[in-house]
Amino acid sequence: MLVVEHLNFAYPPPGPDFLQTEALRDISFGLGTGEVLAVMGASGSGKSTLCHVLAGLAPRYTGGHVSGGARAAGYDVLATMPPAGAVGLLFQDAATQLFNPTVEDEVAWGLEALGTPPQRIGVQVEEALARFSLLDVRMRSPWTLSGGQQKRLALAAVWAMRPRVLLLDEPLGGLDPQGRAEVLAALETLPQSGVTLLLTTFRPQAAALAPTTLVLAEGAATSPTPTVEVLRDEARLVEAGILYPPHLWPTLEARCAPSPAPGITVQDVHFAYTDGHAALHGVSLEIPQGQFVAIIGPNGAGKSTLLRHFNGLLRPARGAVRVQGKDAANRSTGDLAREVGFLFQRPEQQLFAATVYEEVAFGVRALHLTDVSGRVERALARFELAPFAQMPPSILSYGVQRAVTLAALAALDTPILALDEPAVGLDGREWARLLAWLAERRAAGVTLIIVTHEMELAARADRVVALANGRVVADGVPDEVLG
Amino acid sequence: MSVALDFYVHRESWLHRLDPRVKFWGMLVGFVVAFLLSSLVAQIALLLGLHLLLLANRIPWAVLRRLWRQMALLMVLILVLQPLFAPSGAVLVAVGPLRLTMGGLVQAALLATRTLVIAFFVGALLFTTDQRALVQAFVRLGLPYTWGLTFSLMLRFLPAIQQLFVTVREAQAARGWVAEGNLFRRFREYLPVLVAVIIGTLRMSDRLTLALAARGMAPPASAGTSESPQRTVWRDLHMRSTDWLVFIGITLALLAISFELIAFGG
Repeated sequence: MLVVEHLNFAYPPPGPDFLQTEALRDISFGLGTGEVLAVMGASGSGKSTLCHVLAGLAPRYTGGHVSGGARAAGYDVLATMPPAGAVGLLFQDAATQLFNPTVEDEVAWGLEALGTPPQRIGVQVEEALARFSLLDVRMRSPWTLSGGQQKRLALAAVWAMRPRVLLLDEPLGGLDPQGRAEVLAALETLPQSGVTLLLTTFRPQAAALAPTTLVLAEGAATSPTPTVEVLRDEARLVEAGILYPPHLWPTLEARCAPSPAPGITVQDVHFAYTDGHAALHGVSLEIPQGQFVAIIGPNGAGKSTLLRHFNGLLRPARGAVRVQGKDAANRSTGDLAREVGFLFQRPEQQLFAATVYEEVAFGVRALHLTDVSGRVERALARFELAPFAQMPPSILSYGVQRAVTLAALAALDTPILALDEPAVGLDGREWARLLAWLAERRAAGVTLIIVTHEMELAARADRVVALANGRVVADGVPDEVLG
Repeated sequence: MSVALDFYVHRESWLHRLDPRVKFWGMLVGFVVAFLLSSLVAQIALLLGLHLLLLANRIPWAVLRRLWRQMALLMVLILVLQPLFAPSGAVLVAVGPLRLTMGGLVQAALLATRTLVIAFFVGALLFTTDQRALVQAFVRLGLPYTWGLTFSLMLRFLPAIQQLFVTVREAQAARGWVAEGNLFRRFREYLPVLVAVIIGTLRMSDRLTLALAARGMAPPASAGTSESPQRTVWRDLHMRSTDWLVFIGITLALLAISFELIAFGG
């Protein structure tokens, strides 16, 4: 059903001064009808490229050079584009590719494109919605759904077309733990449905869905091996940059005595969005300089809203925010950037400069800091970005883009760091880099305020603040709050 | 991602079920009538009728109020400027060259009501017709499907592009950017943001091209050929007898009003 023989693929060079980037090197494997294979690899190892080649999208739509052979559902995908009814692909950033006004229209769209008779479309839409537990949101707009729901919808839309080969590119990518659990539950039923399944992932839970796993590192692959064996060899997965298990993490303990100076003070802050939706109802927090605070809570609890008050991106409707003891009300976000370094979610939307170097230098120049090149080069080295320095950030992989936003922050050397979900979608190597930097900042006495769904990270904070419905519902040491 | 431009209010009602082509025709006739009627009382009656129609078809007050609020600034401008620029009849107040006249006031009120009537006719279509049916209506009226798709993609992605702009501005502010200097300098500082937004938009459209191709969108050249099947439509539009009756009713109303205006001069 799926045969890959000595497959090589290289992307066209991003500019005249660059070499073409080799993404896949001599990949061979085969899958029979109804078989399931996991492809494990770190970010940038060639997982998405493999999916795009097998779906007939690369090099057809991306450019680049391909050699070797690849057949899926009886189609020579290098020669002809396989129909969507034969080979289905779930994209890594599935959410941004939903474009219909309602959930059920989204599922029906592909069936209409296939020319399915109208009376059968209804039946297949119904089955797909039921299978992925989307019946109760069928009339909602896809872009009002949670991350997990969006991913399930994208999956339902592909599955409804009944492809014989289904390619899932990082089905758990970019999701918080709740979204991951939802999608994983949906995926667990797929292997019994008779579809030939290839899924790429760096998460052991997802790989465990497949009896065999192939490990991809820098474009080259191992031969398919029983998944239990692959997962048992933890050291190897760590070495390939896929895993970074918590027992290997740095301690993240403070190495300075706690400081009596105030870091961020929030007094009875209320906030409502312009659509009338109230997000914060009287939040008060006193965060001393040098403390490591994890902010946790369900989606919509107001975590990001609160964090955005710390550097003036949002202003309280009532109440006050003080940064290092000084009222923040009359200071612009650009001015507060001297004290508060801020990391946004979705790094791919934050990058605006022509090169990675310029991206990292932007803040250093805007704040008129000294030693621009020294700061930028140290930050690039810190996040292993030197090879990408002259590349446009927009073409890099998610993990590298995340590293660029972190480097841009590191170059400013601020006494306070406010990070919104820094760990979403990171593979092992990226976790290792993030944690090493956090440990170093912590040792330097920097205040760390991190919004996170990752309880392993929250457990290492000095203090955990739990929000729900715009209110602080728990505030204390990790053992106390996390139970 | 931000919300899309969508005005549809999902309800079960007679007006919701009406064929979108009939509703579209009704809206066009409504425009013509709004322009033909020169009596303020008739316009107010029409506006009131539209409110009753929408409320009877389970469009909540909040939605109508939002439309009023969106129109408010335009209404104020019309009511303030129209009497001053088009004075007629008895002068009520005169300050320098500005004269406030009775005729001007009535004309302003008429223009304001007419504008509202038009807005509520558009609302009657958009509040009760989902985007899919709207696009389908245009396709059935002869527009190619790709145009319809482009239209709904535009509604979907325009707010996303605007959001991209906000996101980039915020990212820059968070890294120390402060708006300063004269207008020219500020404009120059906005250029990199525009470039970033354009690059972001291009990337968005690249990803969308892949997504459409992966889900069976045939390239225009091969659509309908043996290589790619003809697109089918789930829940296609069908004119029921009620739709035909309403269509005839609207057309008769148009004829009656035109006849009366021609025969009796308004």
